[in-house]
Amino acid sequence: MQEKPYFEISGLSAGYGGKPLIEDINIKLKKGRILTLIGPNGAGKSTVLKTITGHLPSIAGSVYIAGRSTAAMSRKELASTIAVLLTERVKTDMMTCRDVVETGRYPYTDLLGILSNEDRHAAERAMAAAGISDLADRDFMTLSDGQKQRVMLARAEAQESDILVLDEPTSYLDIKYQLELLSTLRRLSSERGTTVIMSLHELFLAERISDIIMCIKDRRIDNIGTPSEIFSGTYIDSLYDLAPGTYRSLRADQVYF
Amino acid sequence: MMSSAENRRKRWILCFILLSALLVVFFAASICIGSVNLPLSRLLSILFKDGGDSSERDIIFALRLPRTLAALILGGALSLSGYLLQTFFHNPLAGPFVLGISSGAKLTVAVCMVILLSRSATMNSAGMITAAFAGSLACMFFVMLASRRIKRMSMLVICGVMIGYICNAVTEFIVTFADDSDIVNLHNWSQGSFSGTTMENAAVMAVVTAVSSLCAFLLSKPISAYLLGESYAESMGVNIKLFRIALVIISSMLSACVTAFAGPVSFVGIAVPQIIRFLYRTSKPVVMIPACFLGGSIFCLFCDLLARTMFAPAELSISTVTAVFGAPVVIAVMLRRPEER
Repeated sequence: MQEKPYFEISGLSAGYGGKPLIEDINIKLKKGRILTLIGPNGAGKSTVLKTITGHLPSIAGSVYIAGRSTAAMSRKELASTIAVLLTERVKTDMMTCRDVVETGRYPYTDLLGILSNEDRHAAERAMAAAGISDLADRDFMTLSDGQKQRVMLARAEAQESDILVLDEPTSYLDIKYQLELLSTLRRLSSERGTTVIMSLHELFLAERISDIIMCIKDRRIDNIGTPSEIFSGTYIDSLYDLAPGTYRSLRADQVYF
Repeated sequence: MMSSAENRRKRWILCFILLSALLVVFFAASICIGSVNLPLSRLLSILFKDGGDSSERDIIFALRLPRTLAALILGGALSLSGYLLQTFFHNPLAGPFVLGISSGAKLTVAVCMVILLSRSATMNSAGMITAAFAGSLACMFFVMLASRRIKRMSMLVICGVMIGYICNAVTEFIVTFADDSDIVNLHNWSQGSFSGTTMENAAVMAVVTAVSSLCAFLLSKPISAYLLGESYAESMGVNIKLFRIALVIISSMLSACVTAFAGPVSFVGIAVPQIIRFLYRTSKPVVMIPACFLGGSIFCLFCDLLARTMFAPAELSISTVTAVFGAPVVIAVMLRRPEER
């Protein structure tokens, strides 16, 4: 028997001000899958992600989660289903890292936003998992960009949502934390069944972590496939307008040096 | 510096106790001290025993109590309005006075006063607040237009100061050309003062401020989401458009109420939320909203007391005193943030 898709994008057009940038996006994902969007700068990866999260209204088509259109969901319902990590820089005033992580519990809190013990524990768990417990009482603005990024990741994790949408989560992270992010996402998808949808610039990470890769180029979906399909042959070279074989030769260098 | 979450909660409770105590002290001082000094023991016996003579009762219930209540209520309203504006613009230097919102309210109130005076009518409290609210909203609208194009926080403030200057110039113009003896009163009011408040005024401002502040407190949750920026707030399920409208209306209402009764009062809106943030070391709105109100009340009670006693029988305008204590705080805030986006 065919398993029903948990997450589905059907005939979606994404863009700004009613003008579609990318049209006719279709994909079906099972629960717990990791989908990565790759492609050149400015291709429209963020636009697609923003349309999925509801930051941008969809111009045509729909996003379905567990068979329900996100357009039919209330704001609160959508917020507790999808956790996000955005590229925009966060500026805070007198907020500790714990405060920032705890905002991830927003959809669960009462009328005044007061945290329950369960909320506090979830925030502590997320900080421990992200390895930032020692930063908990530091002022967010005193952190390095990489530390901030890890705090924002912990914030998304604290939300304990079924879907995680991450826009370039590896920005500001060095290789150690990039790999750590990779194992965190793997753990979330396998243990908790979290469906991950993200954009990545690091192709070697995309190849290792993804179940499915969606390639965006020239404002359209250029290709969708498994990592082995996408990274075989010279497809990556054409995606990034490189001379055929360039990407593979880079990787070969990595092996032999 | 205290670190853990538990210590922080203790700090908040301690600060609330301290501020409440200060409020009681300044409230009592404001009733007792003046051209006729009433020792606390005498005040208590007037209140609870013999009722005092009629002149003492007049001083307390017709002059000092309404004025003290005005300083308490309007001070809190001003500080809270400043906090909401700082949140709205993500700008620690925002406040109803610097952004020209008080001046806009002053302009519309002056226009209405002059028009009504020329027809030998006077305005009631509700009319004053409505006029001030319209002026506040109009200026708020201009500042919001500017904030769409201006991202630097200092430039936005300069823009607001300019809007304030324009409004003040027009007000001066109107006051100069409207010849009427009552214009002297208008002039006094336009300098900012809590004097001349009646118990009827105090009751109206109490109702307006209480409702607005309660609404602000009920917005604590979306405000806390908004602290991380609009996009994140949206991802947490906040209806940004509705939220922004609510914030504009509440902050304009609070500052309009102040301007309607006391004229424009400077620096309370910027300085007090900064001091409170520093004291409490948090930006959680559930804590900040009551704390800012409390802080603003204390600050204005203190400043009003100085304004009327320092050079008695002459009286300083309230803005003169609030500027002396508020402006250094603003400078400190700017020095604390050398890097600006």
